[in-house]
Amino acid sequence: MKSLDLDLLGYLHLLKVLAPEAILVVTALVVLGFGLSSSAERMRPLLTRLTLLGCLAAGAFLLIYPENAFLQNGMVVLDPIGRIFKLAILGLSFITVILSAASPVRRHFAEYLALILFSTVGMMLLAGTEDLLMIFIALELTSISLYVLTAYHKRSAASAEAGLKYFLIGGVSAAFLLFGLSFVYGVAGTMSLRELAVIAPHLANDPLMLAGIVLTLVGFGFKVAAVPFHLWAPDVYEGAPTPTAALVASGSKVAGFFILAKLLAIGFGSSVGMADWSQFRPGWLPILAIMAALSIVLGNLAALVQSNVKRLLAYSAIAHSGYMLLGLTSANVPGFTAVLFYVLVYAVTTVGAFGVVSIVERRRGGSQLQDFDGLYKTSPGLSLSLLVFLTSLAGIPPFAGFFGKFYMFSETLAASAPGTNPGMLWLVILAIALNAVSLYYYLVVLKHVFVAKPAHEIRLKAVACAPVIGALALAVLLLGIFPNVLLEPISNAVTAYTKEIAKPMQAR
Amino acid sequence: MTDYPLLVIFLAIAIVFPLIPLALAWAWAFFFSPAKPGKDKGAIYECGIESTGAAHIQFQSHYYLYALVFLIFDVETVFLLPFAAAFLKLPLAAFFALMIFLLLLVEGLVWAWAKGILQWK
Repeated sequence: MKSLDLDLLGYLHLLKVLAPEAILVVTALVVLGFGLSSSAERMRPLLTRLTLLGCLAAGAFLLIYPENAFLQNGMVVLDPIGRIFKLAILGLSFITVILSAASPVRRHFAEYLALILFSTVGMMLLAGTEDLLMIFIALELTSISLYVLTAYHKRSAASAEAGLKYFLIGGVSAAFLLFGLSFVYGVAGTMSLRELAVIAPHLANDPLMLAGIVLTLVGFGFKVAAVPFHLWAPDVYEGAPTPTAALVASGSKVAGFFILAKLLAIGFGSSVGMADWSQFRPGWLPILAIMAALSIVLGNLAALVQSNVKRLLAYSAIAHSGYMLLGLTSANVPGFTAVLFYVLVYAVTTVGAFGVVSIVERRRGGSQLQDFDGLYKTSPGLSLSLLVFLTSLAGIPPFAGFFGKFYMFSETLAASAPGTNPGMLWLVILAIALNAVSLYYYLVVLKHVFVAKPAHEIRLKAVACAPVIGALALAVLLLGIFPNVLLEPISNAVTAYTKEIAKPMQAR
Repeated sequence: MTDYPLLVIFLAIAIVFPLIPLALAWAWAFFFSPAKPGKDKGAIYECGIESTGAAHIQFQSHYYLYALVFLIFDVETVFLLPFAAAFLKLPLAAFFALMIFLLLLVEGLVWAWAKGILQWK
């Protein structure tokens, strides 16, 4: 291990690289401080604005500080791809805060905002590290904040149940992850992903290394809600306050998939393995393939029978985790680029969908399918936004979800060597078939919105977050038509990154 | 790499070892001892005396908040001790870094205090 000694300049440099996170922490502390005053209830708008300002300042700093950094042997990293994801996470938290401004959370609002900021810091650290220990700590910072946020409806039994389930299952998954990482550290003797990439080829068939990889994947499987580690997701999505659910579904998924991709590509790049029956080799690829197949099948089929839209979105999220794991089975640079693009598109779409649900829930008192009856009559703008989000999730052109899925599936197919039997063909066929199934349950929601007679005649009042939802819908549409706006920066950043790491990912 | 089969053998022995006396005891009981359960025979022995009253008493939830706050400051000491031991050899920057760490904890304490967590109700 290299020396961790830092002089004053070293600390200043570290602070400069981590300034966005530091800004968020300071904002959270200030918000907490304001929340202590006796008139905290009346200060809700001020607190919200302060939080939004903090997010904006952090984002602005990320944009104007162009220098790349590699500090403390990879504990803190700042590179173009990490910067894109940090900005995306900040944006998602920004939207979550806007959604929270009118949320049913009444008491301890300052703490609610502070916890959102803390979990954002965790996700951003996750996007900017190449160290096993930092990955674990950042993941825990994110998760623990999210556990509390999930249980934030103090009077709601469902929220408490969801929080407890999320906490217990998340705790177990953290134990698996830590156990796996400790195996990897025990065999390889290093925490740094890049050093691991150099050492790992000698350990490709070491049983302890493989056990470490499996345990790590189990831990991440919990975090990204892949079958068979998905059981917490429906309850959490349904029981949590809707803005929290939006953050769990978008921000934590973005950060989780980003670091999972990084871990698989660099750290475990030499233990890919083979999922073909004929030429099976142990590694992470067969595990991912199985988890992807199960998630796609179970997520899509279970969503068919849901009557609560938040629960439906949860099963849809499980299915989408499956699609993204499928993308990771490509195990090459274009495939990973496609996954990174898709996870961002998915996050934008899903946060928008949860935004619509949160407005409906607030005005009509529930998120059952019946509560969406005749939404089009009373608020057409909101309904059209929901149409955009759900059809994008179903993967219908011209929305971003279509392009993202198409790109991901085609890169997965293209990953196999030319002339040989495409290894992941069966999985892609399965995914496309069940994607057609998924169209049904999205359309059921839309049927309630556009066709069913409204039970409520009350017009939904215009709310502050409506423009944001409209903007998200527009973004989903534009990203579908001009995907290059986002794809090109990601692709360039990934290419630059692959050039930068000493040993490129092993070709299949 | 070559050590792993040995570990598997150890594991097998470790599983079989406690099973043999258990099986012997079970066989002995099955063949030689008649079943005559009684009040005293069925009593829990070697595990303390029989409990009186329900175990479902209510704790003050305040107790946990106290314990949590205590835990954080207890752990803080663990970080402070090596810092104090190496104080003279540390650069100035390390001093500032630890002061920031302490400030964060102090803010936590102030917050807990203002929220009335330190008041026993």
